[in-house]
Amino acid sequence: MTPPEGPREVSGGAPAAPELAAAQGATRRFGELLAVDGVDLAVAAGEVVGLIGANGSGKTTLIRMLLGLLEPTAGRVRLFGEPPSRQTRARLGYVPQSLGLYDDLTVAENMAFSAAAYGSQQAVLEGELAGARDVLVRELPLGLRRRAAFAIALGHHPDLLVLDEPTSGVDPLQRARLWETIRATAEHGAGVLVTTHHLGEAEQCDRLVVLAAGRVVAAGSLPEIVGDTTAAEVRTPIWEAAFTALDLARLPVSLVGRTLRVPGNDAAAVARVLADAGIPAEVGSVPASFEETFVVLAGEPRAD
Amino acid sequence: MSPEGTSWGCRRLGVRYGATVALEEVSFEVAAGTVAAVVGGDGAGKTSLLRALAGTVRPAAGTVRRPDERRLGYVSAGPGIWTDLTVDENLSFSGRAYGLSAGELDRRVGGLLERTGLAGARDRLAGRLSGGMRQKLALAMAVAHEPDLLILDEPTTGVDPVSRAELWRLLAASAAGGAAVVVATTYLDEAERAATVLVLDRGRSLLAGTPDEVVAATPGLVVDAATRPDGIPSWRRGARWRAWSPDGSTPPGTGLATLDLEDAVIVAQLREDQRWAA
Amino acid sequence: MWAMAMKEFRQMRRDRRTLAMMILLPVLLLVVFGYAASFDVDQVKTVVVGPRAEQVAAALPERLDVVRVAPGEGRQDAVEALRDADAAVAVVTGDAGQPQVLVDGADLFSARSVVTELRGRPGLPTPEVLFNPGLETSAIMVPGLMGVVLVFVGTIATALGVVRERQSGTLEQLAVMPFKARDVLAGKLLPYLGVAVVDLAVIVAVGVLLFNVPFRGSPLVFALGAIEFLFVTVGIGVLISTVSETQGQAIQLAILTMLPQILLSGLIFPLQAMAPGVRWIGYLLPLTYFVQVARGVMVRGAPFEALLLPLGMLAVLGTAVFGLSIARFRRDLAPAGRDHGADAADVDQDQAASARAGAR
Repeated sequence: MTPPEGPREVSGGAPAAPELAAAQGATRRFGELLAVDGVDLAVAAGEVVGLIGANGSGKTTLIRMLLGLLEPTAGRVRLFGEPPSRQTRARLGYVPQSLGLYDDLTVAENMAFSAAAYGSQQAVLEGELAGARDVLVRELPLGLRRRAAFAIALGHHPDLLVLDEPTSGVDPLQRARLWETIRATAEHGAGVLVTTHHLGEAEQCDRLVVLAAGRVVAAGSLPEIVGDTTAAEVRTPIWEAAFTALDLARLPVSLVGRTLRVPGNDAAAVARVLADAGIPAEVGSVPASFEETFVVLAGEPRAD
Repeated sequence: MSPEGTSWGCRRLGVRYGATVALEEVSFEVAAGTVAAVVGGDGAGKTSLLRALAGTVRPAAGTVRRPDERRLGYVSAGPGIWTDLTVDENLSFSGRAYGLSAGELDRRVGGLLERTGLAGARDRLAGRLSGGMRQKLALAMAVAHEPDLLILDEPTTGVDPVSRAELWRLLAASAAGGAAVVVATTYLDEAERAATVLVLDRGRSLLAGTPDEVVAATPGLVVDAATRPDGIPSWRRGARWRAWSPDGSTPPGTGLATLDLEDAVIVAQLREDQRWAA
Repeated sequence: MWAMAMKEFRQMRRDRRTLAMMILLPVLLLVVFGYAASFDVDQVKTVVVGPRAEQVAAALPERLDVVRVAPGEGRQDAVEALRDADAAVAVVTGDAGQPQVLVDGADLFSARSVVTELRGRPGLPTPEVLFNPGLETSAIMVPGLMGVVLVFVGTIATALGVVRERQSGTLEQLAVMPFKARDVLAGKLLPYLGVAVVDLAVIVAVGVLLFNVPFRGSPLVFALGAIEFLFVTVGIGVLISTVSETQGQAIQLAILTMLPQILLSGLIFPLQAMAPGVRWIGYLLPLTYFVQVARGVMVRGAPFEALLLPLGMLAVLGTAVFGLSIARFRRDLAPAGRDHGADAADVDQDQAASARAGAR
């Protein structure tokens, strides 16, 4: 497998809109562990930036630094142009992965609490949510819970919205609806920073920042990042045997329907392994999906 | 391993919890050596279906065909690992519970740890593993006794992409070894990789078949446009919009979209919503 | 700040268990201190034996409540009566001279009140204190504390151990594995039972060696009482776990069951000193009977026959509670389409969802 390339910085020009959140060379150490290593990141008004990374990539730590919950050991972090502070919090909306809602309160009560805390008007609930005003949060299905959390976070009209895995575990229609809300928020002038594991959602972002082991390994728009990464596609009637052969050769093979795919630009190697194992197959080079690109970018050879 | 041609599943399954109907008239089949995906939102009934297959819930109606409990592997949403035991201890407990002898256990555990990339974390407390590694541990525990039917409830939700790819590779390996694998997932790109897919909505079966069959069976037309089309149900897809035209006409400003499973599922869901609203 | 208070208030209103604790506990304490907390025993059961039994019985002070007059019995019978807890005081009369007054030192507060009274009246014989001549508190408290330890290990430890499984979502995993419900329960309880036994042995050793608590009776009888009692407390622990979703809730319930037992079982405040309206509660509590067995065996050396009532009660309670707890636990594990399985299932689903949402 080809070794990981260096960070693919693609110039898209500096954002013309005001920068709401920015990190420059942000670094954070925990004792021996270097969780975040020299990360540059910016979110401007009106755009949706996707932060993608494996577990342990430093995503959470980076977000906590941006939110002001953690101090960087080196580098700078700016929120609305200054170091993060309590004053600027009112302009920030944050929805953590666990939603930050009180299970044992109703939607309306959660809204009241949030409004009182931020000194703002209560959010407006639309559609299905309006009907769920007086339902205890713990009795709502996940999709509605997520939408409630959003609505509440937007209640005080923040300039910057930070969302941690906003659509985890939600079905495609609900996911699409949630993304409509996210994009609508951006179109109204807010900046949105989203973290996600769901690479399909990467398409929904204006820009992407890919983290691995605390560093930025790629940044830019989706087509720029995928670039010309390819994968080897294997068609063979005896897929089980082919799979086993490639697996034993420690190639990151995956099964798609009845064909096999191996990300990485080395189709010849794949063909060789199969030939050596005496397995008849057609091996071709096809454009890689984002996920496959990601696997290549994340760089480590297979952990085993 | 089960002989060629064995399949497991359910016929006209119904599951109730007290007065709530979780599943109704669901039929589903998975053949040995294949991976079947069960898709649906929260509350659609995926977990109930998997539980009925695994035998932790007794059906209120219909029949379930499953192997003997020792030939079954189950990974609950959660996942079901003991956080205050080490990786090794978890595997030992599970192995012994399924009747593996100490010798067999020794042999298999080493190999499993290698394949799942957990070898380095053997003596780490399971509670200290990242989400992806926990799922891999749960999977290792479920396959240690080489089950004929492997059932996994949302093993990749909230898991990072690299671990997700690795998990699917392990599932494929299981299928390659002859097991029938059933996976519940909310990720449609994963469902597309399966040999068959079942889409649930509100306890009923919405779509079923191979991914290609399901996509081809989508009624009407799905179109693609740069801005939100008027008059027909639409949703965002990436930077563009998609919409569903039930009568097959192409509204102005739109073009034909290349359908995939996500579109098929969304259309099916829209139709259901219409039916419920009516 | 008000927003925070408002939110807390709303949450508190919904948390029934904490509310119950906050209201029930003060009520309990009021009841106890109003009606139960007293060390003054008004009426002490007395037995009078010997040739002049009838005359002497008539002349005894008010406090001594004569329950048996037996002219034909002698001192040995009197001692046995005390040993078997038929009475707390025995008066042994002879043909002439002062009668002997024997007092059960294991019934500490009765003994103390009798001794004080008799000492205050010159001319009356000096009482002879049996079993616990120094009228030491430790002699009767240590056996009682053994009961407390068993309650603690049995109830809290067990409840926590089982609830932990439910909380982490692994109960569902266990349900799929080829385990029988009784395997799971027995396997889970065994370590706690083992620890309880070790605890008990340690306390007995410390009590006897360090605090000079006697151990006059049969260790077998003691062991029997302890085992029966453990069944009850462990059963309560498992029951608590079947109605609790989190460890916090389990502990709340455990405390709610432990506190009345400690206060109303005769461990601290003697049962006879409690107002009758409250005393009956004590007779429902398992700890009451264990304390009777422990004190009877250790301090008085009472034989098996004398302890039939408490041992029997423990056996009945044990079977009932333990049986019920197994039945409920089984429902959690076995395939169910019915309510309890449903509650567990729904809870697991929600927890799984939030666990996933919170997991990294």
